[in-house]
Amino acid sequence: MTVRLDFGLVERAATGCALRLPRGPHRGKLGEVRASSVGSSLELHDFRQYSPGDDLRHIDWNAVARTGELYLRVRQDEVSPRVEVLVDASASMAISEEKAARAREVAAWVVTLARRGGLDPSVISTGSTVRKAGGPSTRAMLEALEFDGRTPFDEALRRAPPLLPCGLRVVISDFLFEAPPQPFAERLARGAAGLVLVQVLDAEDVNPSGGAGARLTDAETGEVLERVLTPGVLEQYEARFNAHVGLWQAAARRVRGTWAQASAEQSLDALARRELSSLVELA
Amino acid sequence: MMLGAPLGLLALLAVPALVAAYFLRRRQPPRTVSALFLWRTPDQRAEAGPRLHRFSRERSLLLEVLAVLFAAFFLSDVRCGQTAPRQHVVIILDGSLSMNAADAVDRAKTEVARIARAENAGVLTLIETGVRPSLLAGPQLERDRALATLERWRPAQPAHDFAPAFTLARELSGSAEHRLFFITDGPPPESLALLPTIEGRSVGEALGNVAFLSAQRRDEGGRAQVTVRVGNFSDTEKKVSVRFTPTGAAVQTRELTLPASGTAVLRVGFDTTGAIVAALPDDALRDDGELALLPSPLADVTVSMTSDLDAQAQAALRRFFAIAPGVKLAAPATLTIGPPKSGARFQLGATGTLKSFVGPFFSQKGHALLDDVQLGGVVWTAGENPPGRVLMSAGDVVLLSEEDDGTLHANLDLGRSSVQRTVAWPVLLSNVVRLARLSSPGFPRKHLMLGEDTPLVALAGSKWELRGADGEARPVMGSGVLMLPPLPRAGTWALEKDGEPFDALVVLPLDPRESDLRTRGPWELAAQKPQAFASFATTHPRPWWPLLVVLLLVLLDFWLTAAPRKKDVPA
Repeated sequence: MTVRLDFGLVERAATGCALRLPRGPHRGKLGEVRASSVGSSLELHDFRQYSPGDDLRHIDWNAVARTGELYLRVRQDEVSPRVEVLVDASASMAISEEKAARAREVAAWVVTLARRGGLDPSVISTGSTVRKAGGPSTRAMLEALEFDGRTPFDEALRRAPPLLPCGLRVVISDFLFEAPPQPFAERLARGAAGLVLVQVLDAEDVNPSGGAGARLTDAETGEVLERVLTPGVLEQYEARFNAHVGLWQAAARRVRGTWAQASAEQSLDALARRELSSLVELA
Repeated sequence: MMLGAPLGLLALLAVPALVAAYFLRRRQPPRTVSALFLWRTPDQRAEAGPRLHRFSRERSLLLEVLAVLFAAFFLSDVRCGQTAPRQHVVIILDGSLSMNAADAVDRAKTEVARIARAENAGVLTLIETGVRPSLLAGPQLERDRALATLERWRPAQPAHDFAPAFTLARELSGSAEHRLFFITDGPPPESLALLPTIEGRSVGEALGNVAFLSAQRRDEGGRAQVTVRVGNFSDTEKKVSVRFTPTGAAVQTRELTLPASGTAVLRVGFDTTGAIVAALPDDALRDDGELALLPSPLADVTVSMTSDLDAQAQAALRRFFAIAPGVKLAAPATLTIGPPKSGARFQLGATGTLKSFVGPFFSQKGHALLDDVQLGGVVWTAGENPPGRVLMSAGDVVLLSEEDDGTLHANLDLGRSSVQRTVAWPVLLSNVVRLARLSSPGFPRKHLMLGEDTPLVALAGSKWELRGADGEARPVMGSGVLMLPPLPRAGTWALEKDGEPFDALVVLPLDPRESDLRTRGPWELAAQKPQAFASFATTHPRPWWPLLVVLLLVLLDFWLTAAPRKKDVPA
């Protein structure tokens, strides 16, 4: 299922916003954000005693005058942090056009925000094949993104190249797979200064319609289950769904990540102002 | 294919119900969901494999329809390769020797097959009449197998009464009301009229015949003397040539002129100690026109007397044995003679208080020891009673007795009796010698008539077996002097001891009543109770294989649809 990505809509939703980065030091290409590495920016980071081989240009002569010892000014590097957007391209993300469109729009929105903030965004999608794009090619990749994965997100991610350290990792998925949330969340948070989990859900995921018998087919595995969707069954589903989401929220909290839930029924603009507002700060 | 219970096919009504249910289930709207695991109950979560697409509605339907089909097969009692209904038909076949005349036996076999087809017989019981009726096939043998068994049938019985076979047939048919079939070649037997449920027919043909009526052979000094009587069972005079083929000697042919319905005797001598075959020209019944005569010399009997036998008795015995044919005084002996309590086979003498008798003497009639023994005017002095079964007595004194092991006791004091001076003495001793001769292992007689009981002496400790010319073996049960049932067919029968040939005899196919074919001819007698059908089908056990197939199909369906599976655990 391919839905045309409206970048104009994405640009409008990103207007006046900037991606909120975590406060800790970052790593990345040379840029404007204070890095965790020692560098040559104007920001003072620390003092330390001189060691043979140190650059004499960094000696703080005032401190030498006050103490009589050779002290060096240790300055922090300024980098452009990497922003990694992981998009779950499994088939369950496309059970409706709205859900697929919203997932793609959210990804594009994050990429747009990152690029506007001078960051270095890259996108990794885990469909039937794992794709990775960075720089200008992210737009083309998101336009052509197919939600055709037949394996759950956690399994598909194992086929992807190792996740590199980054400043911010945004994961866009419905998180509706059976993998235990906590280990998977830890895996996602590893090497990232900040983690944002965006759950994109269709209306049928949250409140499925009932009243008749149905052959329920899993979007990814094709497994079939025949159920009569009585109110009791729907209640049981709702309870299990809430418990499942609760587990993911708890897991996100434990890894100090941010959890956001995006309903596919709402427009990206509305989502940016409400459900996804925790990802941005006003410029 | 036949159906034992056609109502069982009603189970097939389940097929349309299954198909309807299948289409109803198909009409359920399909819905793709993001997370099927959230829809499962805990049990379903444990059972279903997340990766395996194991449920196949079509395959399940196919298996369920097949299960219903096989269940219907079971309930309807399907029998493949069988035709319904299966009737049990009992057919009585005349086992007389005359059935071999002019292919009557082949016509009888054809008639059996025709009856089996006409009566829609599933199983057959074929009974052969005879002195002792026997089962040719069955009871209730599959029709094809019974007919195949009948192919090997060759009647060889002497003239006999059919009533025992009819009685056996009625018992085996299951009810006195069931219709029976009787096939013969002779005239309708009188007993047939007494059984209204028997449908009889004859396959015989009235023919003239020339046959041997009797045959004897006497061997003495290497020369065999053969005497045969030939009968003409036709209404015209006949000239026939009788051909004798002795072993190791020249063939001799004798011409005979037989008057109409008359007989003639032929006596021929041969210098041979081997078998002699006498043959008549081929005619309507070949069986009674050829016979083999085995050498049957009188077997020598060795006799010994114990030393403690009194001198008077020894003298009397020696006088007899000196002139008795085929008797030798030698050791080891077949016949030992000694005084009472000596352990000898024939114990002669009297002990205790002696008492003389002039009669009357009471003897057991029919015992071989007393054949032709006349004691009129004899003074018999006896002592105390000997052990064993009493053969002859006077008053309360036992004069002759026999123990179970064959030991003979003669309670006789020869010194005070007159027995040894009368004709009874050599006759009595001849009988003792004859009994001793008959107690030798093997066949006491080398030639038997058809249907005659077979005398045989078998020693304990060995395996004895009778083997016919066609290889048929009949084990000999028991030991000692035996009287076996008549041998089933004419010809040479060998006696084997521990697998080795020991002796032989010939059953001569001679029976004038069977050789006379003039009374034969076709006839047919319908059952007087035609409403009485042949007995109903026997109930064969219902085959269980369809039920096993049903079970397998159900298990397979369960495995396909709902069987527990080990859940895939993510690595």
